[in-house]
Amino acid sequence: MFKRFRSLFRALARRRDFEDGMSEELRFHIEQSTDELVRSGMSREEAARQIRMEMGNVANVKEDCREAFELHFFDEFRRQLNYAARLLRKTPVFTITALLTLAVCFGANLTLFAVIDSVLLRPLPFPEPGQLVTLFNTYPKAGVERDGSSLTNYYERRGHISSFTSLSIFSYGTEIIGEAGSTERAPTLRVSPEFFSTLALGPVMGRSFTEEETTSETDQVAILSDSFWRERYNADPHVIGKQVRVNSVPRTIIGVLPPDFRFLSSDARLFLPLASRPEDRTPLRRHAGGNVIQMIARLKPGHTLAQAQSELDAQNAALELDDPQAKMIADAGFRTLVVPLHADHVAAIRPTLLLLQAGAIGLLLIGAVNLLNLLLVRASGRAKELAIRQALGAGRGYVVSEVLVETTLLTVTGGLLGLAVGAVGIQLLRVWGTDRLPLGGRIAFDARLALAALAAAILMGFVFAVPVAWFHLRGHLNHALQSESRGGTSGRATQFLRHGFIVAQIALAFVLLAGAGLLGLSLQRAMAVSPGFQSDHILAGQILLPWATYSEGARLTFVENLLDKIGHLPGVMSAGVVNNVPFSGHSGKSAATVEGYTPRPGESARGHYSYGVGGDYFRAMGFSLRAGRFLTADDSRRPQRVCVVDEDFARYYWPNGNAIGQRLWDGSEGGKDSEAFTVVGVVGAAKQVGLTEDQAQGAIYYPYEFRIGDSFFVTVRTNFPPESLGLALQKAVRQIDSDIPVNDVRSMDTRIADSLVVRRSPALLASIFSGIALLLTAIGTYGVLSFAVAQRRREIGVRMALGAQPSQIRTQFLFLSLRLLFCGTLLGMMGAWQAGRAMRTVLFQVEPLSLAILAGAAGIMAAVCLVACLLPSQRAARISPVETLAEE
Amino acid sequence: MGKTAELLPGTLDMLILKAVSLKPLHGYGVLQRIRQISKDALEIPQGSLYPALYRLEHHGLIAADWGLSENNRRAKFYTLTPAGRRRLRDETEGWNRLTSAIAAALNATPEEV
Repeated sequence: MFKRFRSLFRALARRRDFEDGMSEELRFHIEQSTDELVRSGMSREEAARQIRMEMGNVANVKEDCREAFELHFFDEFRRQLNYAARLLRKTPVFTITALLTLAVCFGANLTLFAVIDSVLLRPLPFPEPGQLVTLFNTYPKAGVERDGSSLTNYYERRGHISSFTSLSIFSYGTEIIGEAGSTERAPTLRVSPEFFSTLALGPVMGRSFTEEETTSETDQVAILSDSFWRERYNADPHVIGKQVRVNSVPRTIIGVLPPDFRFLSSDARLFLPLASRPEDRTPLRRHAGGNVIQMIARLKPGHTLAQAQSELDAQNAALELDDPQAKMIADAGFRTLVVPLHADHVAAIRPTLLLLQAGAIGLLLIGAVNLLNLLLVRASGRAKELAIRQALGAGRGYVVSEVLVETTLLTVTGGLLGLAVGAVGIQLLRVWGTDRLPLGGRIAFDARLALAALAAAILMGFVFAVPVAWFHLRGHLNHALQSESRGGTSGRATQFLRHGFIVAQIALAFVLLAGAGLLGLSLQRAMAVSPGFQSDHILAGQILLPWATYSEGARLTFVENLLDKIGHLPGVMSAGVVNNVPFSGHSGKSAATVEGYTPRPGESARGHYSYGVGGDYFRAMGFSLRAGRFLTADDSRRPQRVCVVDEDFARYYWPNGNAIGQRLWDGSEGGKDSEAFTVVGVVGAAKQVGLTEDQAQGAIYYPYEFRIGDSFFVTVRTNFPPESLGLALQKAVRQIDSDIPVNDVRSMDTRIADSLVVRRSPALLASIFSGIALLLTAIGTYGVLSFAVAQRRREIGVRMALGAQPSQIRTQFLFLSLRLLFCGTLLGMMGAWQAGRAMRTVLFQVEPLSLAILAGAAGIMAAVCLVACLLPSQRAARISPVETLAEE
Repeated sequence: MGKTAELLPGTLDMLILKAVSLKPLHGYGVLQRIRQISKDALEIPQGSLYPALYRLEHHGLIAADWGLSENNRRAKFYTLTPAGRRRLRDETEGWNRLTSAIAAALNATPEEV
């Protein structure tokens, strides 16, 4: 068998050689045998005649030889291919319509599938990725769904949960890397020693971190990513033992990671030990996670998530026994959840992606139905030709293979065009923010995808061939011949099929339209939400100060200097700093204890957004003052501690409106009187994470000196276009310290717009899909109606000769389309209802079944369909009875 | 030319294999060789010689190579492959069994029944 394949393949690959060789061989044979006969005394002519008689027709011999090599299937295939190509070229309008439809539908599906493949399907690039899990603490009743893990969790759990082979923690960060003058601010990961062994993928050169390197005195080591090693060290093979400066402090390079090492979506250039102090690992800090530290673990082979979960639950319960805060923790609904790492990482985007893929599949269905209809119409046009050929002896198999070759040629060409559309589509989606999706960085257009698309195209060709072949083979040979010649109507069954397809198309397009409407309306509603501050004319940038060169005091001086410099820039109205600006993508909630507040039964401590603000932050951001006053620069110097809360916070704890003068402590326990903060003002509530967050979680603003962190944001209100201030801001910072860059410089309006990308891109994509769907439906309706009119020319002519008015004819066709429209819309509404329910999680302030959207979609659908029907109906009404009757 | 016999179906392949097994031959040579070894008793239908050669080549029983003929013309020479040699042996045995069985049957006398 294998030999035959090889021999066939060789003959196919060198077809010209095969044919030439065969001709030469036969020629040689004829000449040799002629010569022999001549030698035996025959005349040359006589000899040639005898050879011809003995051999028969040389062309036949050749054909037999080809058949012996099994080449004749391919020759037949090629003949049919040429014939199909010729037929398609003869009907350019049909062919172009079909190819464009296929290209767009395939392209859309391919693009989305590329995204889904890389985000949802392709496993993480580690050995046995299914064993990787992540763990996080949750306090649902305190409004904190997710709080990462604490160092204490890590030290208490590692080695104690038997379902895990290893357990590790990590923390995302950014550091200033490099020598003075050529620094870059780069993403880093701080990881515990078992991090790489948990992933089962570690340094290819050098070693991993050790237990001894987890204190701040001994953590001066670093592991390089492959890209950093190549770019900064020129892929130096002797890099181990050299120094790299991180935040101005030299660290020893101990390892280099492999080129394909990529942890989730992190672009970390450098890996550092996650160092901590012994006091941060005590039971008192068990619930101090704050989403800074994340935990991953690897399940033992054969162990399940449920086993790990119950082990964790048991351990948590045992540990909480002697926790002084046990009751509060329990009231908060505390649990530690174990979930698969990959699924958890992409959980937020999953429904949207699946929804869009469903939309793309819907589009493909519409396109397919459309094409089927056009193919059936086309088949009707050729019914007579094929009937005659069958009558003349063309076999059923021949007809089927001819149809199959034609439809497959069409779908495969369309599929190839679709590959191009898909390649462009992936680039387009990148512009719309797919690389900011979790795992979006690995979206690629690879050979697997192309092969899958081609396989789908071939399959589609087969699917299309079925009804067309059925149409030709129904066996009504006489009927086909007669009905065509009399110009009568086509069979009831095919007409029913065509109309059914139109109805399906209208219904599907309706669902897409309604879905796009829901997404669009959600986006509009989300955009209409006020962020809670005047977001226009604000520029914000992030500044990271390394701890090695900036102590707490130096940080405060830096901030003071900076605000002073910025305040003197032209066009600046006010400026302030905050440790975390709204819409930055990070949020930290922490507990606060309100003096004199006794929790209601079952109520737990709440997590609130907690900020440190300095300078004229509230004015710069355009917060509205509800009561009291804003914080000022002087508040840092006063002996009495003060703070500002937002109206959500004030309403929750002091519903009577007497927030001013109340006192609270930072943290989940009250403290000394001197550590209490007195509320001096209430400001409007601002959205912190995104416009669509609906929890009124409450926020507390402390003076900046109480919330000093690694980095802070500087916010500037200006009466210039905010982006124009970017360079001046960079320059002001450089004047103070030339090593410090300003990062993430964007206006607040841009930040808000960027935060909506997860709504805007899907809405945009869905509206593109439904636009195409409408166009396809219009083409389909127009095509079928035109065909119906053309087919019934004679009947219409006769009726008009007998006195029917043009308007009657027009109305008849319009009624037909109205009937189709009505059925399609009805089905579509049912589909839209289901689709709306499936979309519930991604909708914002929009009901899944919105009457306005249904009505709008129905209106658009009706308009498009009627326009598509008008032209053929008009044509029907203008049919001249004289001409049609004369055609006989 | 003496008396010639029609070829039984399926025997052409066997004869070609046999002819080629003696010495590499071109197509015309195969024809001559069969005539020669059958002492001109077998008439090869010339129209089916080449399809048979091609089929045997396609099935890997003979291999083809271009070479020079006796009169220095380019010609395609066929040689027996190991698979072809096995096939020839099997077919020869089968054929011998068949012919002796048929001969025995045809020579049966009334006494033996």
